[in-house]
Amino acid sequence: MAKYIKTVSSVSRRRFLSNTVATGALALATPSIMRRSAYGQSPNRIVFISEESSDKAQAVYDRINADFERETGISVTMEYPGFTNIAQRVATLIAAGTPAEIVWYGAGQAMDVALQGQLADVSDLVTKHNIPDNLRMVVDGADRSVPTSQQFFYGWYRQDLYEEQGLAPYETWEDYLNVVKSLNSPPEIYGNVIPSVEQGASHLLLETMFQKNDVHWFSYDEAEGKYRVALDEGENLSRAIEAMEFLHEAHQYSPEASNYNWAELMSEYYTGNVANSYYVGARLLDQTAANNPDLAQHTMPVALPRRLTESYYLSVQGFHVHKDSNVDGAKQYVSFFLEHPAYVDWLHSVPLHIIPAQQSMLQSEAYQDNEFIQQRMDVLEFLDSIWGKGTPPYYWDGPVLNPLVGLYQNANRGGRMLAERNIRGTDSETVVRETAEWIRNRVAEEEARQQ
Amino acid sequence: MSIEAQNRWDKLRWVGATITPALLMLTLMAYLPIIYALTLGFYHRTAFNPDAVWTGLDNFIWIVNDPGLWHALNRSLVFTVGSVSAQLAFGLFFGLLLHQGMRGLNVMRTLVILPYLLPVVVVGLVFRWILNPEFGIVNQVLMDIGLIDLPINFFGGLDTAMLSVIVATVWQYGSFAALLIFARLQSINPKLYEAARTSGAGAWRCFMDVTLPNLRTTLLVIVLLRGIWMFNKFDLIWIITAGGPLEATETLPIYAYKLAFQDFDFGRAAAACTAMFLVLVIGSILYFRFFNPTREVEVGR
Repeated sequence: MAKYIKTVSSVSRRRFLSNTVATGALALATPSIMRRSAYGQSPNRIVFISEESSDKAQAVYDRINADFERETGISVTMEYPGFTNIAQRVATLIAAGTPAEIVWYGAGQAMDVALQGQLADVSDLVTKHNIPDNLRMVVDGADRSVPTSQQFFYGWYRQDLYEEQGLAPYETWEDYLNVVKSLNSPPEIYGNVIPSVEQGASHLLLETMFQKNDVHWFSYDEAEGKYRVALDEGENLSRAIEAMEFLHEAHQYSPEASNYNWAELMSEYYTGNVANSYYVGARLLDQTAANNPDLAQHTMPVALPRRLTESYYLSVQGFHVHKDSNVDGAKQYVSFFLEHPAYVDWLHSVPLHIIPAQQSMLQSEAYQDNEFIQQRMDVLEFLDSIWGKGTPPYYWDGPVLNPLVGLYQNANRGGRMLAERNIRGTDSETVVRETAEWIRNRVAEEEARQQ
Repeated sequence: MSIEAQNRWDKLRWVGATITPALLMLTLMAYLPIIYALTLGFYHRTAFNPDAVWTGLDNFIWIVNDPGLWHALNRSLVFTVGSVSAQLAFGLFFGLLLHQGMRGLNVMRTLVILPYLLPVVVVGLVFRWILNPEFGIVNQVLMDIGLIDLPINFFGGLDTAMLSVIVATVWQYGSFAALLIFARLQSINPKLYEAARTSGAGAWRCFMDVTLPNLRTTLLVIVLLRGIWMFNKFDLIWIITAGGPLEATETLPIYAYKLAFQDFDFGRAAAACTAMFLVLVIGSILYFRFFNPTREVEVGR
């Protein structure tokens, strides 16, 4: 061994230096050499990533997938990365050159992928399945999403506590503050929960209140045909401050909630810790029924308090097909899924939460033929009554799809705004102005990159 | 070929055959990814664009100008210094305790090492639960004994989040220091203590003049290793706070992670990782220069 080491150590300095330089040059060139290309194009296989991962939904997927494979010979591999991680999983697979054929998740998240030119044209499927216009996501002149369902962001309240105190369900911001203040008795129970963290639940709460107060993040310049940041301008600024102050006041009757997300909006409610909560859909009711059945019967839906508008934040989910994958197989699957008898069972996997894209389906006997829905027809009637009042964020600021929404939405910037105001105590005007500036910087960065 | 050359060649083949598999594995699993990560910082590479475009120092300039990097570095230093100091104190206390030779030593030793054996996910979730403001046992006890009126959101408070995360890491990793210190204490010559006591030294003087000097190398090695590991710590912090609230616990690893998997900008994330690597290299060089942990202390005769 010693002789071997002696041999190695006798390498000349010149050879050592030249070898080091060559290795360094190779290392620097490595990333550009290691290019990736999509290879997920086997005609007999598709990978399907779904955001919905409840046991019942998985059982339905298994049924439909088995039938699909029997009929077409194409096998379907499922992945359930979870709501929080799905965007990351999708991006990782694309970066690795192995994109999934189909991803079922929010069209808002998919929009970023669409804007990068990654999604296939699915206009034929949108036309075939009569998708309503307000749910469509059109990028570069083609539909990039096949919407299957939608969810409104609305409130849930404890009817029993309201009746005890002789309170009526809130309608205006003033009503809301009065109610939550009356029901607030910490530490036994809080009036409501105001999540104030850079997460989705906080962000959607602020987005909804902005919509209620007719606040726009962007304005559309028709002459130039593009959007520009308008959050800190004119009436937008004053209304944005108003909305933030409203939520700040409501936060006085809430747990600190500086690390609360969707799960906590539900758990705080069904454990009886808060008298009012909200959710993007009826999963809160579903979880309350599962964890605290006695409380579920007193849990009622209500529109979040209005100010200048009655608009609802609308979350749209659908199928998205990657352009470099087995596109034909994926499109076959999407059609098969939507036409399969078990499609209604899939909608029933979380009843009243996964709401169909078409109102006719909501009103159909097939959809209403479900024990839970029959017990809670009041919720279905509520959803029917607000049909058409929802606006996806990428259509809120103007007549055409706003490609810049993802810059602040995917960073949950609204949640950060609430955290700055409610946790750090920064004044609302500073928060709004800093946010507007932050979005402008990101827009400039994105434009520079595209050049 | 001469016999000597033949022998040398045989030895070379033997050495080559034995170390090649390990070297190959190391190259594929460690060296190549490290080289790739270090050089990726010179490219613009995002999740949605398979082409890596050479950008030179642009990514490094961007992160140096990003206040987020300096904030994260500050958080990393606070976390590292706080966590390592507390682990040392924890380790010293339990190491000395185990060294007493009391009854039940084996049981105690097992209990001390137990946290270190637990998966990080388990520790993170358990701590999130016991420090939960609504359901956690700590808040319940504090309210029951009247110390607080309203629950404390330990992991959600701007002032309490970092300290709470440090407590969680000390609980899990303090046993590593305790075991190393205990092992070193076992090897100290008892005659040194006899000599010290004969000279009239009490417990404190024995500790300062005999125990501590003999523990010097061990303590410095613990500081070095735990310092590097805590500086690179990602998993426990991410599980507990995800860097929040409002970046109160966003250390450099979390900053780099967010660049990679929230902004999907792999080039900048790689540049941030390179910055972390440089900080550790500089820190290690300075550490060896000033402390020289390999130097054994000679106790005066």
